[in-house]
Amino acid sequence: MAEYELDCMGEACPIPLVKAEKKLAELNVGDILIVQIDHSCAMKNVPEWARKEGHNVEIDEVDDGEWEVVIEKMH
Amino acid sequence: MDIKKNKFYKAWFKDAWPYITGAVLLSVFQIFTLAATGNPWGVSGVLANWGAWVYELVGGSVDKWYYFSSEGAQRTLETGFFKDPGTMRNLGIIVGAFFAVLMASQFKIKKLKSLRQVIAALLGGLLMGYGARIGFGCNIGALFSGIASFSLSGWVYALFLFAGAYVGSKLLVKFFM
Repeated sequence: MAEYELDCMGEACPIPLVKAEKKLAELNVGDILIVQIDHSCAMKNVPEWARKEGHNVEIDEVDDGEWEVVIEKMH
Repeated sequence: MDIKKNKFYKAWFKDAWPYITGAVLLSVFQIFTLAATGNPWGVSGVLANWGAWVYELVGGSVDKWYYFSSEGAQRTLETGFFKDPGTMRNLGIIVGAFFAVLMASQFKIKKLKSLRQVIAALLGGLLMGYGARIGFGCNIGALFSGIASFSLSGWVYALFLFAGAYVGSKLLVKFFM
C-alpha cells in the first residue's frame, strides 16, 4: 500500500489526465495516487475518468485554485 | 453560518455549472446579442480590432490593410473602442471570468513550468489567432454563430475543428509527456 504523488501544477488539460492514466497503470492494487493540480478542468476530468474506471476518488481543495485528487487503485 | 457550506453558494459560485445550463444560457444570450446588435456573437474578430486600435494608438495606420478595407470594418474602427458592442462583450467575458473565479475563491497566478510551455503557448496563440482570421471566425463566430445561423460553413468548420484537435492532441502528447 504505497502512496505516490504526481505533480501536475501548472499543467493544462489534458496533460494531468494523461499523466495520471500513465502513472496509475504502473501502480499496484491498493496503492494511492495523489494528483496535484491547479487547473480547474482537470479537477473535473481526472476524477471523472478514475471513477468511471472503478477506482475510489476523493478531491481535496488544498488552497485557492489548488486541488489534490486522491485515487485509490481498486483493480 | 459558514458560507462555504451554504447550498446556494455552492450551486451558484463554487461548483461548475452543468453543461446543459451553460448551453441554454449561451443560446439565450446568442439570441439577445443578435437582436440587440444585429450581429451574431463573435470574439476573435474583436481582438483583431483591438490590435488595430493599439496600432493606431502608437501612430500606425491600418487604412490600407486589406483585412480592414471593408466599409463595415472601417466604420467599427472609426466608432471606437468604447462604442463597440463586441469590445464591451469581450471585456464582460474577462471581468465576468475574474468575478467567477474570485467568488469560488479559486484565483491563482500559475507558475510557468518550462520554457517549452511558454513557447508552445505563444505559438499556439499565434496559430489560433491567425487561423481564426483566415477562417473568418473562431469557434464562437464561425462555429457556434455559424451553426446557429443555419450556415453550412459552421458545420464545415466543426469537421476541421475535430481534425485539428486530433492532430493537436497527438502533438501535445508527443512533446509534453
